[in-house]
Amino acid sequence: MLDYALVGRVLVALSRRSVSTQFRRAQLVMPTFVLPLMLMAVITSGTGAARDLPGYPTVDSYLSFIIAGSIIQGALLAGLTTGIALASDIESGFFDRLLAAPVPRSTLVLGRLSGTVVLGVIQSAFFLAVAFVFGASYPGGPLAILATICLAALTAAGIGGLAAAIALRTGSLSLMQSIFPFVFVLLFTAPAFFPRELLTDTLRDVAVYNPLTYVVEGARGLLGGNRELGDPWLGLAAAVGLLIATTVLATAALQERLRRT
Amino acid sequence: MSSPAVSVESLVREFKGGIRAVDGLDLQVEEGEIYGFLGPNGAGKTTTVRILTTLLRPTSGSARVAGHDVVSEADKVRRSIGVALQEAAIDPLMTGRELLQMQGALHGLKRPAARERGTTLLERVGLVEAADRRVGGYSGGMRRRLDLALALVHRPDVLFLDEPTTGLDITSRTALWREVRALNDEGTTVFLTTQYLEEAEQLADRVGIIAGGGLVAEGTPADLKGRVGKPTVHVLVGSAEAAARARTALGRLGEVQAEDRAIPGLVALPAPDGNGSLAPVVRVLDEEHIEVESIEVKSPTLDDVFLAVTGSKLEGADGA
Repeated sequence: MLDYALVGRVLVALSRRSVSTQFRRAQLVMPTFVLPLMLMAVITSGTGAARDLPGYPTVDSYLSFIIAGSIIQGALLAGLTTGIALASDIESGFFDRLLAAPVPRSTLVLGRLSGTVVLGVIQSAFFLAVAFVFGASYPGGPLAILATICLAALTAAGIGGLAAAIALRTGSLSLMQSIFPFVFVLLFTAPAFFPRELLTDTLRDVAVYNPLTYVVEGARGLLGGNRELGDPWLGLAAAVGLLIATTVLATAALQERLRRT
Repeated sequence: MSSPAVSVESLVREFKGGIRAVDGLDLQVEEGEIYGFLGPNGAGKTTTVRILTTLLRPTSGSARVAGHDVVSEADKVRRSIGVALQEAAIDPLMTGRELLQMQGALHGLKRPAARERGTTLLERVGLVEAADRRVGGYSGGMRRRLDLALALVHRPDVLFLDEPTTGLDITSRTALWREVRALNDEGTTVFLTTQYLEEAEQLADRVGIIAGGGLVAEGTPADLKGRVGKPTVHVLVGSAEAAARARTALGRLGEVQAEDRAIPGLVALPAPDGNGSLAPVVRVLDEEHIEVESIEVKSPTLDDVFLAVTGSKLEGADGA
């Protein structure tokens, strides 16, 4: 019979390790905290005039519009670093130490993903605070901010599941690191920094199939307190769907890895 | 009667391309033993340990650890064993204390109990002062000691140590041996793989030699050495002429071995009483006024055993 107390303790221990080591590794702090902020600053100063384009939604400031994109960018990168850290554990042999412990195998993946959830919470709260200091406003109110943070955390874990699946299949740290540029493909095929209506026809068609489209629009709708900017429930459905699908993928990849060895 | 701590029957592990790392291995380790598993790189030691610690599935055959099957009762095996794998896989970004507490949680300890157990083990392996430092800054010896502490968090019945002292200096190695002996005295069965003959000789109650994936010899170090030869007295004199005289004189004590052309001054004869055989040899040489350069009793070593059963010398044997 499954010992839920044990599972809980293991998840907390692995999650704690995952978060604490994240902040001790400069190569993981840079992409998850510094890069999204830099991009936010560059985009705000460089393309802020886009707000005057016809068809651009009415928002308090350009920063208030793109903060949802920056949060989701952070979530994407947090998810990717989950895979990088896992591949590093596999290559170094640390993952074997975890496998030699008498815990359900799936908790080893779930522990890592719960750490990504915590990281997603810290990261999105930090971005919202920084943007607020620089003039962003959140008419949706405190509950909307909380809901946005949850949405970001779920998205981070969802992407983390995908990255973990790749790490478990390949066990290769260098391959995980080489995936980094593809994160931007996912980000820019979603209306992260521009409204969907202003994307080119091709990009708009692609965006329909990108779950991040609904997450970023949902977050935007929440923070702006305006359903016309995006449907939060659709965003939640996309984030949860992504998380479930990729967790299944990661668990299957772990089973495959165990079967192979 | 209690079941063996480790029991392996016809174990086979085949990798891609039909390579058999373990090929029909049979062995048994009794409770409370230190079993030295000796072999060169690529002999199948690590593959065997990975199977016994449930990290690798066998292709065929069976293995039981602490009475549990490593495939069908893997979880029970994991509860009973402590594992310190080769190359101490420890997260360099964590501190020793954090690692011990995490390991405690993985073995079902609640947080206060994990903290307390961690502190006890840090004291035991002499890492109290370094406990809150990141492991990345530890020396090789400190990492190995921490690795050992991690393997002991849940008080395992059987401890697997995969080449625990490879790359360590003699001081760190000796300290680790002392700790392994102490653990064994407390009742822990130890399955130790090593490529250091001295390590096996110092620690192991019994030694198994693996080559080509199978066990080629097994027994106590004394048994194994006894199988390849008896102790001999080696007398080295200054010239071939003196050697001929010594050979004649010492012939009264026992059968002198044939002349070694490579070392013309060497005279060797059986030493049935070990060091006790030296006195009569010295007396005879003195009576004959034969000047001696050196005299010693030479016993077979595990290296000789290894050479006899595998046809090659063990890599790393000189490093011990």
